[in-house]
Amino acid sequence: MTNVYVHGIGMTKFGTLTSSLKELLLEASAEALIDAGRPKIDAVFVGNFMGGSIANQEILGAIVANELGLGYIPSTKVEGACASGGIAFRQGLLGIMSGEYETVLVAGVEKMKHATTPDVTQAINAAMDTTTNEKYAGLTFPGFFGVLANRYFHETGASKEHLARVALKNRQNAVNNPLAQFVKPATLEEIMGARMITDPLGLFDCSPMTDGASAIVISRKKSPIYVKASSQVSGPTKMQDATNLLSLPAIGESGRLAYEKAGVGPEDIDVVEIHDCFSMTEIIATEELGFFNPLEGWKAVEEGRTQVTGDKPVNTSGGLLSRGHPIGATGIAQIYQLVRQLRGNAANQLEKTPRLALAQNLGGTGSYSTVHILERV
Amino acid sequence: MKIYSCCGNESITKKYFCSECGKSEFEEKEVSDSGTVYSFTKIHIAPAEFADIAPYNVVLVELDEANAKVTTRIEEDVKIGDKVSLDRIENDAYIYKRVS
Repeated sequence: MTNVYVHGIGMTKFGTLTSSLKELLLEASAEALIDAGRPKIDAVFVGNFMGGSIANQEILGAIVANELGLGYIPSTKVEGACASGGIAFRQGLLGIMSGEYETVLVAGVEKMKHATTPDVTQAINAAMDTTTNEKYAGLTFPGFFGVLANRYFHETGASKEHLARVALKNRQNAVNNPLAQFVKPATLEEIMGARMITDPLGLFDCSPMTDGASAIVISRKKSPIYVKASSQVSGPTKMQDATNLLSLPAIGESGRLAYEKAGVGPEDIDVVEIHDCFSMTEIIATEELGFFNPLEGWKAVEEGRTQVTGDKPVNTSGGLLSRGHPIGATGIAQIYQLVRQLRGNAANQLEKTPRLALAQNLGGTGSYSTVHILERV
Repeated sequence: MKIYSCCGNESITKKYFCSECGKSEFEEKEVSDSGTVYSFTKIHIAPAEFADIAPYNVVLVELDEANAKVTTRIEEDVKIGDKVSLDRIENDAYIYKRVS
């Protein structure tokens, strides 16, 4: 089997930016190409969700190939809601593993801050099945996780404070990340008292609207960062059809597959970036990925186990909640942070340089999940 | 309310094929629309098309007579365990109400 290695990474500042969708995409891509030593690129994959609906811009793949002078190479835009980046990365890997390409550029981008909140909320709702009675009842994307959180509280000892502690941890991490959207410290009281978005999720429990891009160059040529496993699965697309609302089976199954391919278990992973689109989602994902027992993720938060200094550091970048969530860029930005952790020069660098890192990227309300495991070799 | 079932899975919507046996022979039965609140959220930040009714409650209801749930909207505030039933169908949405 062909092995794939990471050669270069790039990422723009995340936040409210004046650059256009195209400018962000090119900036991150150029940085990754330079970091990789300007190799010949055989194909481009771009993760993006709402370029068409909000920024009126498609053909992102061809724009990258053309503006960066990559030649007459294949280029593809990949959409998988908030997992667009993770899926684009996997498509790049598969392209190399198939033997078709030697070196691939994968980028992710989103431009959201220029649009109004109702318009973006509407566009994000396209990540649900929009012709169901759920959608007609007014269920939103954040609303799904609000319903999940209220049931989680009901069945466990968790409360709004545990969600707030996730948000606080990720904010504390973002404060040390110069590329993060939110670098201003927040207090637990401020987080607990913030205005409600969808009960019980307040402002700090929800990932923000963000502009930003990230990119990565991968190749079958060797480098010190090895992509040890890649997995992707689809899950339920309707809340009312979930067999168990407190499980997001797409996350669990993608994790199980990735561990199996890598020949490692959750106990072997040194550092993690997971898809905290909402504070509640981070807790559920840590359970689904086997780091903690089902319905006990909130206890790990209470014990500080997911902090940078804990035994299972989660979202040292600040996560979606505070690093920011430019939808199509998120999956690539997770890998950007992990590569820096493995290289030993990350924001919130772990004291002992990690060897195994795991990224989990979620799309929709559990509709898609990708898991990638990286190894320092 | 109509329930479609196959291989022990029950749903208020019909899929093309059963994920267990692969067949499309779903059994149909009519059950009562009454149920119990499984969980809920009050949506304060709504998409453009629902902005005029925000904040509003979206409630996941466990049906009494089937192993299935239905996502509904309820005008009054509810809590987990409350008994509810269908009030009306409005713009293809199930609008439920609390039973006494």
